[in-house]
Amino acid sequence: MNVNQVAEKTRNNQVVTYLAISGIIVIAMMIFGILMLLQQGGVINLPPATFYQFLTIHGTGMIGVAALAAAAIMWYFLNKYVTLSQKILRINLALFLIGVVMVIIGVFSFEYASAWTFLYPLPALSANAWGTIGALLYLGGMLVLGIGFLLFYLDAGRAIIKKYGSLGKGLGWDVIAGKKAEQDAPPGAVVASTMVTIVNTTAITAGAVVLIMNIINVINPSFTFDPLLAKNLTYAFGHIFANAVIYMAVIAVYEILQKYTDRPWKSSKSFLVAWTMSTVFTLIIYTHHLLMDSVMPKWTLIMAQVLSYSNGLPVLVVTAYGALMIVYKSGIKWDMASGLTYVAMFGWVLGVVPAIIDATIVVNHVMHNTKWVPGHFHMYMGLGALAMIFGFMYYVAKVECNMRINMLDKMAFVIYILGIMGVSGSFLVSGAISTPRRWATHFPDWIGPAQFGAVSGICLVMAVSIFVWHFVRFLMNRNTLNAGSDFSKKKLA
Amino acid sequence: MKQAGIGLSLYGLLMIPPVVHFLESVMLFHMLVQLPLLIVAGWLMGGIFIGKFINFFTKWNASGIPGILLFIIITMYWMLPRVLDEAVSLWYMELFKFISLPFLAGLCLRDSWCKLKIVGKSFVYLNYLPMFGLMAWLYIDTPIQICNNYLEDQQKVLGWGFLFITICMIIYILQQVFSDQSETPNH
Repeated sequence: MNVNQVAEKTRNNQVVTYLAISGIIVIAMMIFGILMLLQQGGVINLPPATFYQFLTIHGTGMIGVAALAAAAIMWYFLNKYVTLSQKILRINLALFLIGVVMVIIGVFSFEYASAWTFLYPLPALSANAWGTIGALLYLGGMLVLGIGFLLFYLDAGRAIIKKYGSLGKGLGWDVIAGKKAEQDAPPGAVVASTMVTIVNTTAITAGAVVLIMNIINVINPSFTFDPLLAKNLTYAFGHIFANAVIYMAVIAVYEILQKYTDRPWKSSKSFLVAWTMSTVFTLIIYTHHLLMDSVMPKWTLIMAQVLSYSNGLPVLVVTAYGALMIVYKSGIKWDMASGLTYVAMFGWVLGVVPAIIDATIVVNHVMHNTKWVPGHFHMYMGLGALAMIFGFMYYVAKVECNMRINMLDKMAFVIYILGIMGVSGSFLVSGAISTPRRWATHFPDWIGPAQFGAVSGICLVMAVSIFVWHFVRFLMNRNTLNAGSDFSKKKLA
Repeated sequence: MKQAGIGLSLYGLLMIPPVVHFLESVMLFHMLVQLPLLIVAGWLMGGIFIGKFINFFTKWNASGIPGILLFIIITMYWMLPRVLDEAVSLWYMELFKFISLPFLAGLCLRDSWCKLKIVGKSFVYLNYLPMFGLMAWLYIDTPIQICNNYLEDQQKVLGWGFLFITICMIIYILQQVFSDQSETPNH
């Protein structure tokens, strides 16, 4: 191995660590999800307090770990175009782990269970369900996590500005304005990373404000603040941060499909305009989480509906269309990496439909507090973002070691799709029959879909375990198998 | 030397009793004019001290992180309403203010800022952004009088002052990251 290869392997070591930790945490979080569905389906009998602890850890953990894995994707590909700091990548992981430990102790040792939303004034007013220490550990843990991610995005922003001049140029505004030729436009990975840097820096800053406000309120409840402001800040943080996961993960689609088809994924003007539109819309549409808050200014709610329709569509359309075009008649050789990233496009397209329906004010008033909403985000995140992440894990194993896939992996691919469709479908059906979400106990009429969801979830965990096992085998054989350096040179199509 | 002279003059001006009385009579001026000006005075005078004790600063503040941490601690301390109140009521707190802000905060900021990398600078900046937002909330939203020396109306005015600074900081970031920072005209 020459010096460059050693340096690349060191860089990749960190990305691989991110992915390994993410894979294991995803399985653990899925098990909590299954336990909740079994409880709602009347199969097991958990104390309500335990159910809400599971709800808190599942929601927080899933988004956190998906963001961590997606950050690894972003770093891996963005680092090809700009110079990122490995130190910051390490610090982010260290802070993530510290934050996770604080959250876990807060939830399981001090019974903190406010759900990920930590909606003011719930952390301080728990009716003795949990105490000050539990709330402080959870809120503090979230703050530590946020600091790590903030450093990560600041470093990304720094590197993009250094190479391209400004974040506007990272989004290709000079190309849109006609000052630069289309062939000189920044690649998709840079455009997507710029977008995520902008929106997530904003989100984390909003999150830091509301977390600190909550911490002050928990320590001294006589310090109160406007609950509506708190809810706005909470969703400005939560919605944007969760939404940005897919915008980071989609970089894998751009890069992997390019490589597999041996065709360039060009950043056309329409592609750049779409990403700019999504940057703006993602920042301002979080108010669709507040459509039931009648005290919100009316214009913000109307704006939430209108812009929610438009938010995902620009990037989704250009990406889905681009994916279809790049694959069309390319003679692509399908495997787990290309298959999962491709199916993720389907998951993304399908997953936004229930969201768009829910963003309609008249529908939202009926559906928003039902399991319809988990139906949307399980499909969107599970069949969209997570599929991209697992596809990337297979890709890394192939690039680094030429790890071969076997029949088990192929079976896991099919089981994964059916499993996540089953889980999200069960939620959507529950929503359609007006089953409330976040309830530990269900009426008999509601338990059927929950039981079906639990069984689907078990299948899902089996499939994900096979994905992660493949990655673990790659880790174990990393130094002995042949490096797949020829992968980058030969055409797979 | 000229800079240190300006700093010393500013420091002297801020110590003149009528100026002290005027600035401390209005909460907004106390927090958002007097305290920052003391830091500025310390920054301006700092060049001489840093030059004189270069070995000390190189040894103890090589990365700029210890210095900036001290700066953050000092400034956070002086943002607490209670200490603002005590500075008006207690002579030793007033003395501590006139020493800590220029000679600890201002000096450390000068020595650390140039040593920090861009990520560190951005982190400090983005740390103050929500902090000022929080202070805005604290002073605008607090339903009781939190200082003995300042009325509730003055608290609210100070809160709006903090909000104004927060908004200015956001605008500054936006112009900074969206304007061309290229070293060469064409990339």
